[in-house]
Amino acid sequence: MNVHRLSALLRHHEPEEAWAVVLGQQPAFGLIAQVLAANAPVRASWQRCATERPPARIWQQCLDLGLQVLVMGHPRYPAGLLDDRLPPPVLFARGDLALLEGRRVGIVGTRNATVGGRATARLLGNGLAAAGVHVLSGLARGIDGYAHRGVLAAHIDQPDNDRAGRPIGIVASGHDVIYPREHADLWAAVGERGLLLSESPPGTPPEPHRFPLRNRIVAALSEVVVVVESRERGGSLITASEAIDRSVPVMAVPGPVDRRSAAGTNRLICDGAAPVLGVDDVLIALSYQNGRSAVMAADLRPRPRGGDLAIYRVIAEDARTIDGVALALGLSLVDAAMGLARLEASGWVAQADGWFERTGSPLR
Amino acid sequence: MLAAVRSATVFGVEGRPVIVEVHVSTGLPGFLIVGLPDEACRESRDRVRAAFLTTGLGWPSCKIIVNLAPSSQRKGGSGLDLAIAVALLAANGQVPVEQLEGFGFIAELGLDGSLRAVSGIAPMVAAMPDITCVVATASFREAQGVSGDRVRIAGTLREVVDALNAEAPWPRPPDGEFVDDEPPPLDLADVRGQAAARLGLEVSAAGGHHLLLVGPPGSGKTMLAQRIPGLLPPLTPEVSLEATMVHSAAGVRLPFGGMVRRAPFRAPHHSSSMVALVGGGSVALRPGEISLAHGGVLFLDELGEFGPVVLDGMRQPLEEGVIRLARARASAALPAKFLLVAATNPCPCGGGPPGACECDEVARLRYLRRLSGPLLDRFDLRVGVAKPDVEDLLASGGGEPTAVVSARVAAARAIGMARAGTLNANIPPDRLDELAPLHPAARARLRTELERDLLTGRGYHRIRRVARTIADLQGSEELVLDEHVVMALSLRVRLSVSSRERVA
Repeated sequence: MNVHRLSALLRHHEPEEAWAVVLGQQPAFGLIAQVLAANAPVRASWQRCATERPPARIWQQCLDLGLQVLVMGHPRYPAGLLDDRLPPPVLFARGDLALLEGRRVGIVGTRNATVGGRATARLLGNGLAAAGVHVLSGLARGIDGYAHRGVLAAHIDQPDNDRAGRPIGIVASGHDVIYPREHADLWAAVGERGLLLSESPPGTPPEPHRFPLRNRIVAALSEVVVVVESRERGGSLITASEAIDRSVPVMAVPGPVDRRSAAGTNRLICDGAAPVLGVDDVLIALSYQNGRSAVMAADLRPRPRGGDLAIYRVIAEDARTIDGVALALGLSLVDAAMGLARLEASGWVAQADGWFERTGSPLR
Repeated sequence: MLAAVRSATVFGVEGRPVIVEVHVSTGLPGFLIVGLPDEACRESRDRVRAAFLTTGLGWPSCKIIVNLAPSSQRKGGSGLDLAIAVALLAANGQVPVEQLEGFGFIAELGLDGSLRAVSGIAPMVAAMPDITCVVATASFREAQGVSGDRVRIAGTLREVVDALNAEAPWPRPPDGEFVDDEPPPLDLADVRGQAAARLGLEVSAAGGHHLLLVGPPGSGKTMLAQRIPGLLPPLTPEVSLEATMVHSAAGVRLPFGGMVRRAPFRAPHHSSSMVALVGGGSVALRPGEISLAHGGVLFLDELGEFGPVVLDGMRQPLEEGVIRLARARASAALPAKFLLVAATNPCPCGGGPPGACECDEVARLRYLRRLSGPLLDRFDLRVGVAKPDVEDLLASGGGEPTAVVSARVAAARAIGMARAGTLNANIPPDRLDELAPLHPAARARLRTELERDLLTGRGYHRIRRVARTIADLQGSEELVLDEHVVMALSLRVRLSVSSRERVA
């Protein structure tokens, strides 16, 4: 059932009463009565839905999956959503709802992330978690997944830090319909260590129209939304505009102007979003800090020297192949390969499909 | 009256001797061929009859029975035409029977009495080593390579009859074209830039390492692949003979001299069927592209577009160097030892520098997954090919020419063969420590790669073999140094499908 209609229905009726209205056993009030009177197909489809998915069965599925069901008005229903323009009428939750009272940043971005974008998402997720900020994301492929991987890595790196921020995943399908399937382990980990929320009852498939709706919840529950990589159009820009509508600050990671993967984020910055150059910038936006920390977190990577430094500078400028590096610096292939191997081993560059890209926080 | 004449058919890449017996007797006029002929073979009677009449030879109005012995074997093709005609002439008394002693006949007849070439001449002639073979003039080149001077040629049935009746000498073989008419191999000097890919070709040729070229369309993958045969040394006499048999059996034109001496280059289109690629067919088991590439290069462009079943069918021959085809009635083993060179885009849209790809990740994964698995594992070298730099394209000088590189390749191959008795790509894992000992720094580097999960167990052995070849090319015959391992690692790019991260 359409979110708007379900909201209207629940505004006028108690849940049990609403059920009877849907089944046609009880007359409706107000707007709903008009809709039902004027629109026979809607009436029929409501009735069909109701008979196909009886509440007893959904309830049983929720019990089996260990889900909490939060109807609007429920004492644990997230306060942040109560006065939203379009609050989800029902939420299905797994994990710790108290996380929604902590500091929260949404990290979103394209599913087709570059190696560099993935690394940035990971870095931000990790840094925010280490600072005790919870990270919201959509558990999609690409940026979303890597942001949460970064958060989870913070728990592994600092097992004793129980104040580390946790992952909050907002998903579009039902809790038992894992999408994308290769994120099965990520879903499980987020549900276990953080919170997994869905507006859809168990068994709901990941239909395309559910993703923009999911994005509005990410925007509504975040204090700041960070877009890591986005093309000129895409789901993450929907999240950004939902956030702007709700006066949630939007920040974006800048990229080269000629890079398609940065077109969306650069446009956001152009339109007034604050640029994110590192975790600090996000923390400042949260008023966690009022200046860049004087002491940077120690970069444990050995600083490249001599020829390697020159190679690093060339790659930091733009992604290159081994040929490109050799040509730019007039090196032999072997010297270029040796230098790249050293930089890769110490974590300054990464390679995919033969292209080397800068990775991690930039060399200062 | 009876006459028997020797001929042969081809099966797989082997010639099989056939004796053509003709019996002419009184009775209702008729012409019957027995002994499991296939359709082309059975139609032979119409061609033979027409050829007789146009040549002006008398056609016996008797009962004619032709038997193709051994009669339990299926016989295909039109190469028995001439033998049937000659046997019939002998049985009919138009040619003395004793003149046929020491001759075999292989050619198709035209209705005008001309002799036409058939495929498989080389193996068929080789199957009759003790006698002189009579073939069509057009088949001379093919027959000459394996038979030397025990071959006679003729242009028409009339010439054959006159020669057998000693009324005219056998026609002289064509001469005067003692020029190598094969185009020279494509030269590496035409390739601008692409240093890493060039090295990939060199290593591939020197160590027999299968090579996968990964890069966007227009980056020159095909151009590079076409230059590998030029880097390979000439075929050894043994391989040359095997390749000649295959080419002849498949009806592929042989170079002047009748022998395949240079490494062949075969590039079947990705729509090719299983049979076209590995060989097969119902009667003759024709050799496929992998056999035609024997001793040379099989180039599969757009590897991902080939049918998965087709690619799977190549795994066994890749392993064994021979393809065993079995059919209900017969089976054959065809040589298929080739260097596999393949090219692929990194993703459906073609990719390019990071961020240029327009595919969503699912499409990308699906595309690469088609390549992944068993076949992808056989490539020792995975070389990234990027669009050449503008500077490189405009630069006046080309890179090193083929002549220089192939000399290095030949030297490295000699070192490798002397050390291991085989090309470096075939060194068994348990002999790697003995044949490719690692410098401590190189060992440490490989250990780190393994620990960081960037290298699998199988990849580890492959890297060591490639590093061995690189060391051989650089004249380090004993130890494999760190720089050789690093180069080997750079010639094995990580496809982004394999760089997926696990949840901590």
